[in-house]
Amino acid sequence: MRPMKDPSGPTASCFLFPTGGPPERLGGGIRKQESGRASTPYSDPYLTGVALGLVLLSAYVLVGRGLGATGAFASAAATVADIVSHAQGRGNAYFAEHLTEGGLLGDWIVVEMLGVLLGGWASAALARRLRFAVERGPRVGVGERLAFAVTGGAVMGAGAVLARGCTSGQALTGGALLSVGSWVFVAGAFGAAYAAAYLLRRVWT
Amino acid sequence: MSGAVAPLADAGLLGARGSLAAALAIGVAFGWCLERSGLGSARKLVGQFYLTDLAVLKVMFSAIVTAMLGAFWLDLLGVLDLGRVYVPQTWLLPQLVGGAIFGAGLALAGLCPGTSCVAAATGRADGAAVVAGLFAGVLATGAALPSVRAFYESTARGTFTLPDVVRLPYGVVVLAVVVLALGAFAVAERLEAR
Amino acid sequence: MTGGARGAADPRHLLAIAALVLGIGAALTRPAPRTSRPARAPRPASIDIAALAAEISREADHVTALELAEWIRERRPGLRVLDVRSEEEYATYHVPSAERLPLESIATLRPRTGETLVLYSEGGAHAAQAWVLLRAAGFERVYFLRGGIIDWVEDVMSPANPDEHVSALSRYFGGAPRAGGAGKGFGGAVPLPTAGNPRPSAAAVERVRRRGC
Repeated sequence: MRPMKDPSGPTASCFLFPTGGPPERLGGGIRKQESGRASTPYSDPYLTGVALGLVLLSAYVLVGRGLGATGAFASAAATVADIVSHAQGRGNAYFAEHLTEGGLLGDWIVVEMLGVLLGGWASAALARRLRFAVERGPRVGVGERLAFAVTGGAVMGAGAVLARGCTSGQALTGGALLSVGSWVFVAGAFGAAYAAAYLLRRVWT
Repeated sequence: MSGAVAPLADAGLLGARGSLAAALAIGVAFGWCLERSGLGSARKLVGQFYLTDLAVLKVMFSAIVTAMLGAFWLDLLGVLDLGRVYVPQTWLLPQLVGGAIFGAGLALAGLCPGTSCVAAATGRADGAAVVAGLFAGVLATGAALPSVRAFYESTARGTFTLPDVVRLPYGVVVLAVVVLALGAFAVAERLEAR
Repeated sequence: MTGGARGAADPRHLLAIAALVLGIGAALTRPAPRTSRPARAPRPASIDIAALAAEISREADHVTALELAEWIRERRPGLRVLDVRSEEEYATYHVPSAERLPLESIATLRPRTGETLVLYSEGGAHAAQAWVLLRAAGFERVYFLRGGIIDWVEDVMSPANPDEHVSALSRYFGGAPRAGGAGKGFGGAVPLPTAGNPRPSAAAVERVRRRGC
């Protein structure tokens, strides 16, 4: 007799097809489904990861570069700095690197991030996961969470500038190409994240 | 010059507009994958750092292994000229320190730059807040960068890969990474089953 | 594995096996060390002496410091400025947006469509030699900076009695136009910037569409 399929596991079919499956086990401490409405369970992380790897590979094949995210923020910041003052904008070496002739929409990574917004939205829309919400830990209020989010984002921005990238550009792109600097970035990032998460237990648990 | 057809943009098969169209398509697929796997949810993402939900590890490492193997084999088969793919350059100290700073911010924010955009696009105000913070952080750090220029450009190694460091053939390092990943996945499954 | 679909054909198990097979295959098929910029079968360099000599005499082989400064400022598409000096010299000061290209690794450079290369050295001799080598290897748009970084410092960073245009150009790079007639020539009149005397734009400007994570 064939064993029953485990109903609690994530399934592959929800990667492309929005039709639902059994509710997934989100893992240890975070069991609660976030909304009362039935939404599609998340896709299997391994299979989605492989799909993401193929997307990354297609970038190598099509345009000879990988993914990125922080660069779009840098381009936006450079544009703003340049509008405020040319000396701050193109007179600053970091910002000058990120100013393109075609403007923001001529910058590959900016267009890519617009795609990310679109793709993320589309996936959530089809999976009925679109909703206005503030995700936060159980002991933290909305205002606190938003303050932490802005602060955390700013700190990440600083780190990403120094490291020339983030989890998309360094960890994924550089990681797959075996760049030493990228692997060093990952080691530093994950090490610090684990340590900080421990210190910030109140924020999330 | 090799006879490889890819990267297409290099071979002149994809112009400037084609590159940007590719950027959009790639971005859409990227955002789709992130949302599908649930990494657009801060609470799910931080599960990685409390060892309750290791989706971050599974998604990222699977992606890295897939792209790594794909790039290697396409290059070996002469389809892709890996030498023409831009490899992020190495600055040992800034990337270690920057990475640590980034990681601390990640633990506080619960989202990384890519996933924060996905979260914002799906209606999560905390995602939008992270995006705003990122912009401010990048702007401020970029503006202040000239004063830490020496640090920023220290320990440069240019294009520097793991095979260069361990002095082993590229393919051997590829296998090592695959084995490392599979081992990490096995450990992850154990941890989550607790 | 727990938490997953059980059954005969778990796709994740199949993928894991495929990854292992491909990884083992990778390890077996590359017995020789593979450099990070793999050298494909190098094209034999050919030197059309007459053609190159003609280019040299009509001065199509080099650019002046001011021309290079213009190119950098206007962010000429595809421009790559290559410094062929030593690492210490590069670290002390280099032309803004320049990358290092040690002469020994010149053979690993590959031509790319749309790129314009400008090589420079201290006084121009090494860069001029590199120019010949790259032209022989088939590079189309390659130049060297006449007068090297010495000219750069003299004419761009510290031009004497400059007009409006040159003045603005100099200030764009953080230079200081000066009045006064210190003659051209390496007589110590114009000190090269040192590590303690920082210039604002020293990072490599890489092609934004490709780089930047």
